[in-house]
Amino acid sequence: MDEKVLMKGTDALSEAAVQAGCRCYFGYPITPQNEIPEYMSRRMEEVGGVFLQGESEIASINMVLGAAATGARAMTSSSSPGISLKQEGLSFMAALELPAVIVNINRGGPGLGNIAPSQGDYYQATRGGGHGDYRMPVYAPASVQELYDITMQTFDVADKYRTPVMILGDGMTGQIVEPIIAHEYIRPAEDLPPKDYILDGAQGRPSRIIKSLILDVREMEEHNWKLKRKYDLMKQELPQWEEFMTDDAKMTIIAYGTAARIAKGAVKRARSQGLKVGLLRPITLWPFPDEAIISVAKKSKIFLVFEMSTGQMIDDVRLAVEGRVPCEFYGRPGGIVPAPQELARIIERYWLQKEL
Amino acid sequence: MDRFSVFSSRLVDKSENFTSGHRACQGCAEALAVRHVMKALGRDTIVAMSTGCMEIISSPLPLTAWKVPWIHNAFENSAAVISGCEAGMKAMMRKGIIPQKKINFVAMGGDGATADIGMGPLSGALERGHDMVYICYDNEAYMNTGIQRSSSTPFGASTTTSPAGKDSMGQHTQKKNMPQIAVAHDIPYVATACPSFPFDLIEKVKKAAEMPGAAYVHILSVCPTGWRIQPQDAIKYGRLAIDSCVFPLYEVVNGEYRLTYTPYRKLPVTEYLKGQGRFRHLTDKEIQLIQDKVDRDYQKILKRCEEGR
Repeated sequence: MDEKVLMKGTDALSEAAVQAGCRCYFGYPITPQNEIPEYMSRRMEEVGGVFLQGESEIASINMVLGAAATGARAMTSSSSPGISLKQEGLSFMAALELPAVIVNINRGGPGLGNIAPSQGDYYQATRGGGHGDYRMPVYAPASVQELYDITMQTFDVADKYRTPVMILGDGMTGQIVEPIIAHEYIRPAEDLPPKDYILDGAQGRPSRIIKSLILDVREMEEHNWKLKRKYDLMKQELPQWEEFMTDDAKMTIIAYGTAARIAKGAVKRARSQGLKVGLLRPITLWPFPDEAIISVAKKSKIFLVFEMSTGQMIDDVRLAVEGRVPCEFYGRPGGIVPAPQELARIIERYWLQKEL
Repeated sequence: MDRFSVFSSRLVDKSENFTSGHRACQGCAEALAVRHVMKALGRDTIVAMSTGCMEIISSPLPLTAWKVPWIHNAFENSAAVISGCEAGMKAMMRKGIIPQKKINFVAMGGDGATADIGMGPLSGALERGHDMVYICYDNEAYMNTGIQRSSSTPFGASTTTSPAGKDSMGQHTQKKNMPQIAVAHDIPYVATACPSFPFDLIEKVKKAAEMPGAAYVHILSVCPTGWRIQPQDAIKYGRLAIDSCVFPLYEVVNGEYRLTYTPYRKLPVTEYLKGQGRFRHLTDKEIQLIQDKVDRDYQKILKRCEEGR
């Protein structure tokens, strides 16, 4: 298992889910994530799992909800317009504290948009998206290997905190083919909490209740605070990020996912010209790696946030920075994937402008 | 169709409201169906179309194949959007802002948009009885996204999410009977059609548009790409579907059934199944199951037609 194999992003994600013990997959066709249900329809038959294609995204997410309530490791995937339909289910699962993994292969929007890679769903993913006072861990892998590893990890995170978890990729991370080590699932070091909430028949034990209708305002307030405590714990334990050449960087690029891959190339180019530029790549978008941003802000003179959107993550960067360094922005929305050269030119421009 | 002794192609409207130059695959019978439908409807038509093959191929803006007002909406909403269009125009006409005129309000969708995700809005529109026509182009899978199964995929067909193989025989559920669901709404007009029988199709769409209230037309559209057949065979397979009674052509006017085409000689389903790549894995036993089901369903339709006499 430890030798390298060539794998497509969506296949790696699907296989990692199967390895991590996901035996319930509920999908619905939408480009550019069709390879996930297609892979699962074949693979689930082989491993004795369940593949079901719902009649809509709403059906699929609620099938996930049902499966999670029985204690199964369940997953669904979609792309931007489909994820909008799934928001009701996400809000319910956050309220019911049911674990599941939701994959969003982000495409250009708003509306039907197109099927090209985009990062326009950042707000929707990190701000909850659905109604009510909830949060949801969001992971943004940038390579096929990371997609594989993070998919396995998300099932553990979901079970540990009893929460839906989102993997936010895009057309690029899904379609790219890279060599990866498709290792077996490694159980987390600490034991996951027992699933003592699942509905599996109350014979010989008191009945359990999973519900989100709480009419008593005091009870509802307590439920909200309970969730808040859980989210605070996640904020301490979950943030993940990658730093690349930030130690002596005067300018730091902040980018995630596909944009970070481009940014890495641009940073290398800038370095070859003698510009001291670094890259900070948040891997978790919620909880946002504030600490990392603050520590890099102490070293850098300027931040350049690069996104394949009109500027969404820059809000989180600014919140974390609290005015310590100026934050500039460069974005290419609508499905355009710029080359590293383009970003390198922008870096050079700011470098000269700010006289670094 | 049987009430007309002569059908001449010269008498069909020559104007094209769905023009050539669109991006459909070679041999797409669905694009042909849209063309015939638009001939039948004429220019005074507003079309609301769900996401799907026909939307993608006909509207790569700024290019468009449509010569009528056309609105595109999300997958599940064409019936709801056309309900809004109809209600809006009604109000505008009542206020005298737009002159009184007979306008055809037409919603179109594929089988996924109709039988799966858009079923709720469609049912709502039929129940409310808007003066509209809903046209379902049924190519028996989600062809636009790459041949995934839908609830309209027939028993035994292999698709990318119901793959045939060692452990699977392909789609293992029966095709959802959408025309019957529409009939159950007690609407004035329901019909099935196929572009292999263009005059029948045109007549039915005209009837559907003229009938006050909601009408539903279900069009079997052969998809060479998804059915794994040669592009030049699309019309042939449409005929075979009807001649083998897999897809009988009938209409239901105010609850009364009428068969609009009786096959001269009823063909066995093998004639229809053979040559289609999506059915190539089927065993004799499974084909017999399909034959039995087709016979049963056809008898049901015949019985209902007799009751209507």
